[in-house]
This record gives sequence, C-alpha cells and structure tokens, in this order.
Amino acid sequence: MTRPRLTACLAALALLLLAVPFAGLVVATDWRHFGFVRGDGGAVAVSLGLSLVALPPIVALGTPLAWWLARHRVRGQWLVDALLLLALLTPPLAMGLLLATMYGPYGPAGQWLERAGLLLTNSAPAFVMAQFYAALPYYVLAARAAFEGVPRELEQIALTLGCSPARSFFRVSLPLAKLGLAAAVALAWVRALGEFGVVLIVAYYPQGIPVKLWMNLQDIGLSAVYPLLWVFFLVALPLPLVLGLAVRRRLA
Amino acid sequence: MRVDCRIEHPVALSASFEVEGFTVLLGASGEGKSLLLRAIAGLLPAQGEPFGGLPPQRRAIGYLPQGHALFPHLNAWQNVAFALRGPRRRDEAIAWLERLGLAELAGRWPAQLSGGQQQRVALARALAHRPQLLLLDEPTSALDPATRDDVLAELIAEVHAAGIPALAVSHDPALAAVADRLVLMHGRRIVQVGAPAEVYARPASGAVARLLGLRNVLRGCLEGAPGAQRLYWPEAGAALPVATALADGAAVDWHIAPEGIEWHDAATAPADSIEANVELWQTSAHGRHAGLRCGAALLWAVAPGAGLPAAVRLRLPPAALRCWPV
Repeated sequence: MTRPRLTACLAALALLLLAVPFAGLVVATDWRHFGFVRGDGGAVAVSLGLSLVALPPIVALGTPLAWWLARHRVRGQWLVDALLLLALLTPPLAMGLLLATMYGPYGPAGQWLERAGLLLTNSAPAFVMAQFYAALPYYVLAARAAFEGVPRELEQIALTLGCSPARSFFRVSLPLAKLGLAAAVALAWVRALGEFGVVLIVAYYPQGIPVKLWMNLQDIGLSAVYPLLWVFFLVALPLPLVLGLAVRRRLA
Repeated sequence: MRVDCRIEHPVALSASFEVEGFTVLLGASGEGKSLLLRAIAGLLPAQGEPFGGLPPQRRAIGYLPQGHALFPHLNAWQNVAFALRGPRRRDEAIAWLERLGLAELAGRWPAQLSGGQQQRVALARALAHRPQLLLLDEPTSALDPATRDDVLAELIAEVHAAGIPALAVSHDPALAAVADRLVLMHGRRIVQVGAPAEVYARPASGAVARLLGLRNVLRGCLEGAPGAQRLYWPEAGAALPVATALADGAAVDWHIAPEGIEWHDAATAPADSIEANVELWQTSAHGRHAGLRCGAALLWAVAPGAGLPAAVRLRLPPAALRCWPV
C-alpha cells in the first residue's frame, strides 16, 4: 500500500472512531417520543446566555496575557508556564473545590466579595466565574500561539513608521493573529459551554445544560438526556463552526 | 549625518562615521552590521547619535530590513499609507507609488510582487514617513541576479532624488561599487572610510581587499630587509621578489590583480617565475579568467589568449604586488 493511501486510511479510521458515539446518539434517541422535561429550556438559556457573558472577560484579560507571553522572555518564566499548565491540568472537579475554597461563603475572597454584594456560590456570577476559570487557560495558550506566529519584525517596522506600541498592536499584531485568535475564541467557547466539573461544585444553580443533563439522568433516565443533548449541539456548534470555517477559508 | 553608535548587547560594537548620499557599510556576515542598523532605528538598546535615547516611533528614520517586511494583510497602497493619516492618505500613498513607478500595482498584495517591486513599495512606505535617514539592510540580498543592477540603480536614483542620506549595510561588493561613500567594517571596527574610487585604489588592509571582492588576496611573510626583500608564499612554496618598507619576518596579506600577472612559456620563462597549472577557465561578461593552481593555492589571472598549454610559468612583477602587514 502506498503511503498516501495509508495516510488516508488512518485518517478515515480516526474520523470513524470520532463518529461512533454520535452514531450511537442517533440510534439511541427515541425520535417518536422526542420531548423535553421541565427546566430544559431554562438550562439552554442559562448556558447560552452566561457563556456569552463569560466570553468577553476571557478575551479581554486573556489576550493581553497571551501577547505578553508571546513577546517577552523574563526570568522565572517557567513559573508562568507552570501556572498555566496547572490551570489546565487540575481536574475540573478539583478546580471547582479550589474555587469554592477561595470564593465560597467561608473563603477569604468570598467573604470579602459577599460584603461587596457579589455572591460567588450558586449564582449567575458564580456560573460565569466557573466558565472563566475553565476556559481561560485554553484561550491563553491558543492565543499565545497565534501571536507567536506574527513576525516580530513587522511590529518593529510599525514602530519605525511612527506607530506607538499600542497602535502597532491594533494595526499589525491583532490583524495578523486574527485567524489564530478566532480559533482561540472558538476553543474558549467550547470549553466554557461544555464545562461540567467546575460548574457542578460552585454553581449547581443556575443550571446550565451540562449539569441539567446530569440531573435528568439522575431523576428520569437516558430518555431525558438525549433530547437536551441534541439542543446543546444545536446551540453550541454554530459559533466554533463558523469561526473554524472562516479560518480555513482564509488559509486556503 | 553623523552616526556614532555603541552597542553592548548582544555583541559589543561601536561605530562612528559620516553618512553622505548613498553610504554603504561593507562587512562580512556576523560583524553586527544589521545590529547597528537596528540600534540606529531604536530597536536595540544603544548609546549615541543620531536620535539618542528616543523610542523607535519618535525617530525620523526609514528602515528597510532584509526581505522588506511588507505587511502581508495590507495591499501595496495600504502599506505605503501605513504611516500616513487623514482623509487624503490613499491619494498620498498612490502619489508615492507613482513616483516609484508602481502606480499600477497599488492594489496588489505583497505576495504578488517580485523582490524588486516589494523593495520599492517598502522604500515608498519608508519615504512617506518623511525620514531624515534611510537604513537599508542588505538591499541586494532579495534581488534576482539578472535584474539586480537595474533595480539597484533605480533604488539609488530614488535615494538621491529624495535627498535623504541613506546607509546600506551589506557584504555585497557589487553594492559597494555604486556607493557615494564606503565604510568598511572588520573585526567589529570601522577600518576604512572613503569614496569607492579611493578605497578600491588603496585598500587599507587585506581584510578590506577581501571585502571589496578583490581576487588573489593571499597570506605570506616577508624575508630580508627592505632593498633585497622576498615574499615567501607558503601555500605555493615560492618566494617572490618584492619591494616594501616592511620589516624582515613581517606576516602580510598580499594581493596581485589578475591583470598584473605575466604568462611565460616554460622554455623562455625568467628565473623568478613560478610553476602553475590551469585548473579552470571562467568566461563571463567581464572577460576570460584562468584559475591557476600554484601548489595548494589558487591564483586568478586574465588569460592572454587562446590555445595555452595546461602547464605554464607565471611571473608576479614586484611592482604589481601589494603587501599589508597583518
């Protein structure tokens, strides 16, 4: 067998394996009795609405950090790298517990914030915080790679043409990193929407789709899981799909 | 314009010279020439003039790096308009492109332009910023050899027309040949400055002669006091009569122009001639040269005519030899 055909076969096998669970979903869904249970609609609204709220702070804080990491080498850089890796490595459930420890009603930050009127347990802000922590490290790593792909020389040329560093960032770095940043946003969105473990601990309520899936399974069974899962795909897929397609079209 | 620049990192380098018209700083790779340009542009920490201490965005320079660094997300006129502001920036950019004969390429993307066209767009972009000094890093490196001289001539004509002093750094002797002023760098120091005619006529050292692209720059050492001196050429195992004012035993770089070498038949050769074998012929627009093997060394000479034997004897007349102490 020639090498290109071998590659094609392996690629096809990978696609096939990826498709297996979803084929299972198509088969297992009871299409004749397709329906929703109480609270499903609310879960969709919570997931979609609060993920949209979580995305701006992730981008607003993650982008400067990613750019700084891509452009600066400082002593002790490994500490920053280790911190990012820790945030990625920590099992979501454990991350939820750590957040509850810090921001919960008995946590140092939590008590202080509660006095300021911000309750970070079982509240919409808590839900957004959980998504923020779940998605930020992924966004930062993807955005850093995007900025690393921008030739530094072009930023410097912008400086020699009279641009301030900030102007050079917006006129050169950002447009040239656009595609990679779009991919980073898509990744953050997927991570935020699908997050279960962190949300389970710090924001069981308001219920988003992942926690509601778990509750439907506990209370009713699989028949209540599949319809909500279909809706989840329907609302979660368009943004990353469109961003991904846009990236590919530009690269083609 | 006076350039006086001291760099400490990543290499220690200091240079002080005058930039007039189209000035070429010639030096081998690794001398830190590009670092010097980046330091003048303010992209590398350094002390000195011009624009000492200012951040790059406050320096009135036009910097053309190797490969031209056009913004790939902007087309030609948008690249030129990068430093321009106001509602008429498009018209101004087009005017700059027209001046450089590129008006019809205004809508092209950098990837659709040839190396020479990219260079001229980068020049237009730099000139539109109204610099007081142009900095060009290896301007001939990205050019097609067939059109290089023409592109270079146009570049220099534009620099003269703009009336802005320009400093080009290069290791390319072809660029040195068209400069108004040459600055030669060796061992991270400026070793000679002058008009090209002066420098070519009297290179200050063997290193300079090599930088200028002269052929037949070789190593040797002097034997005997001035008056009865011989140049010992270890690679060929030969000792050549020579007249210098240098002391006995001095190690030298020496040079003989390919036109200065005399060819002789083995039968009628004078006593001070040396044996050589023709190793290859090089025929180009500039004439016909022979590569001659003398011991371990290769010597280039202008061929006197056709039908020469492979083994010949050469005489290197003392008056044609130039020696520099090492």
